[in-house]
Amino acid sequence: MDMQVGPILSALRRHKAGAVLIALQIALTLAILCNALFIVHQRLSHLSEPTGLDEANIFVIQNEWVGKASYAQLDAEARADLEVLRRLPGVADVTTSNSYPLRGAGWDDGIRLHPDQLTDTTGATVYFADEHFVRTLGLKLVAGRDFRAGDIGVMAAQDRLDPSQVIVTRALADTLFHGDTAVGRTLYLAGSPATIVGVVDRLQAQSVARWAADFAHRVVIVPRRLTSTLGTYYIVRTHPGQLAAAMRAAPAALVARNPRRMFDPRMGVLSFAQVRERAYESDRGMATLMGVISAVLLAITAAGIVGVTSFRVGQRRRQIGVRRALGATRHDIVRYFLVENLLVSGSGILLGVLLALAMNLWLILRFGMQGLSPAYLAAGVAVLLLLGQAAALAPALRASRVPPVEATRAG
Amino acid sequence: MLKMTHLSKVYRTEVVETYALRDFNINVKEGEFVAVTGPSGSGKTTFLTIAGLLETFTGGHYHLDGIEVSQLNDNARSKIRNEKIGFIFQAFNLIPDLNVYDNVEVPLRYRGMKAAERKQRIMDALERVGLASRAKHYPAELSGGQQQRVAIARALAGSPRLLLADEPTGNLDTQMARGVMELLEEIHREGATIVMVTHDPELAARAQRNVHIIDGQVVDLAEEPRFHAHNARVADA
Ligand SMILES: Nc1ncnc2c1ncn2[C@@H]1O[C@H](COP(=O)(O)OP(=O)(O)OP(=O)(O)O)[C@@H](O)[C@H]1O
Ligand SMILES: [Mg+2]
Repeated sequence: MDMQVGPILSALRRHKAGAVLIALQIALTLAILCNALFIVHQRLSHLSEPTGLDEANIFVIQNEWVGKASYAQLDAEARADLEVLRRLPGVADVTTSNSYPLRGAGWDDGIRLHPDQLTDTTGATVYFADEHFVRTLGLKLVAGRDFRAGDIGVMAAQDRLDPSQVIVTRALADTLFHGDTAVGRTLYLAGSPATIVGVVDRLQAQSVARWAADFAHRVVIVPRRLTSTLGTYYIVRTHPGQLAAAMRAAPAALVARNPRRMFDPRMGVLSFAQVRERAYESDRGMATLMGVISAVLLAITAAGIVGVTSFRVGQRRRQIGVRRALGATRHDIVRYFLVENLLVSGSGILLGVLLALAMNLWLILRFGMQGLSPAYLAAGVAVLLLLGQAAALAPALRASRVPPVEATRAG
Repeated sequence: MLKMTHLSKVYRTEVVETYALRDFNINVKEGEFVAVTGPSGSGKTTFLTIAGLLETFTGGHYHLDGIEVSQLNDNARSKIRNEKIGFIFQAFNLIPDLNVYDNVEVPLRYRGMKAAERKQRIMDALERVGLASRAKHYPAELSGGQQQRVAIARALAGSPRLLLADEPTGNLDTQMARGVMELLEEIHREGATIVMVTHDPELAARAQRNVHIIDGQVVDLAEEPRFHAHNARVADA
């Protein structure tokens, strides 16, 4: 089969402007499409990352006290609250902490392996916990032991953080000890030594920000109840199917015990599903935006190809008639315009691949994005090749219907 | 070679039906050189486009080289145009985007010929029309006479048995017209069948046989007084 590449190329050289414009448009679309889809994919894969919690059965209460009280009073109030919640029907266990995974804010601190180290070995999220924390969250202890009631201390935000024992996540243990046994080892948290008594399989940090991606599962759990005048978080785990009922009953029960408190109308009581929803709102928004931009770009490019091809077909009706008179079949005419499109798209795509890599490099340097995976490049190339051929097909078919007798018409 | 019997061609628009050809009969034998004359609008071009399978007809029969063409599908018609018929148009109809060489190559490529053979045939054909040195030129860079010679080379390159020419000299001055006519005569001597529509009585006279069309029908010249009057005027001039 004769693809006629030579003559099509020489004819194209005499009509550069349209071809170059389309090629550039395709190149730009490819570059943006590859990078946008790559970003979308990265954001979305992040979205379904498990926290390590028994998410389906957990809800969180943000409790704010009204009026002044001493730290000792605040701790007593909190413990009374935990007892009330624990007695609610459907509730399996309750704990209190300064934060929880995906909340977006909390306590981060530096971890060192030696007291005289000049810089931190790593940063880590610090969760304050009592002896119910591991069980309430549904964490899986893979080594060592859980905290006992006697381990738990009380501290205020301005106090020094100096627990003698901690539980760490496997991710943090691996970062610190590269696979060696962690239980029994000492780490320095904010300068104070602490012995690792347990390792949990998985527990996500409070931040889902992109800069924190490397630290997403480096967590240290300290046996302290943090009392704060600002309030605290109660994390409640229910028996399966009891979540909604417990969520409704909990605030009323707390208010009945002590009415001098507030729950934020939007954030006061959240199921963990809602927590997750909020945490990734901007990621989802970003992904949607990128998707819409990609779709619009593709549509514009397709429209451009349809337009230019239609214009060229209209311009060359006489020539098409002459080709038909000289023996071209309808197939030959369709093929002519498809090959022409392939040549234009092909050069645009070559340029687009280079442009996509350049754009990715810029994103790496400027925003620390990851290297574009070749699969995305390949997918982008395939999409634009198909788009080009599909967009050229309708005008090409119209061209093939130009009758041979067109060759004899004057004009 | 080319035989039409009781052939008719009707152009239908919303308001009128035009009989471009009616009860049209003609028989052109292999190796003949026939000149077709007739007043404007009489149906000469219509006859040629049907003869060349550029268009279908409404009624009657047309046998080309022994084949009843009304039965053929579009692909088969394309193949016959490509292999058996050479066209020469009044407006040359070269493809402006392609140079002389590529223009002559067009029908050969549709025949699926190998590159080496194409090149041989193209250069031979351009040699014949005396334009081998212009192979890289574009149509716009050539005179009308040269363009028509390229068109003839394009028609010749595929060695068609039937050459159809619609006023091939209509856009040329006398000098150039003569050159083109000599070329056609040479091609005819080599065995091709030629049907040429012309308004020029001098050129028509050089053909073996003249066919006159009036109102979509072939008329016998001997019984047509108008033709004698016309010839007389030409003789006076
Ligand atoms: N596509 C068409 N649609 C409608 N009528 C047509 C069409 N083509 C030709 N005709 C009509 O058919 C008749 C014959 O036209 P044709 O072009 O064959 O004449 P001609 O002898 O070649 O004339 P000329 O010497 O001017 O070239 C004319 O009346 C013309 O108007
Ligand atoms: Mg005509």
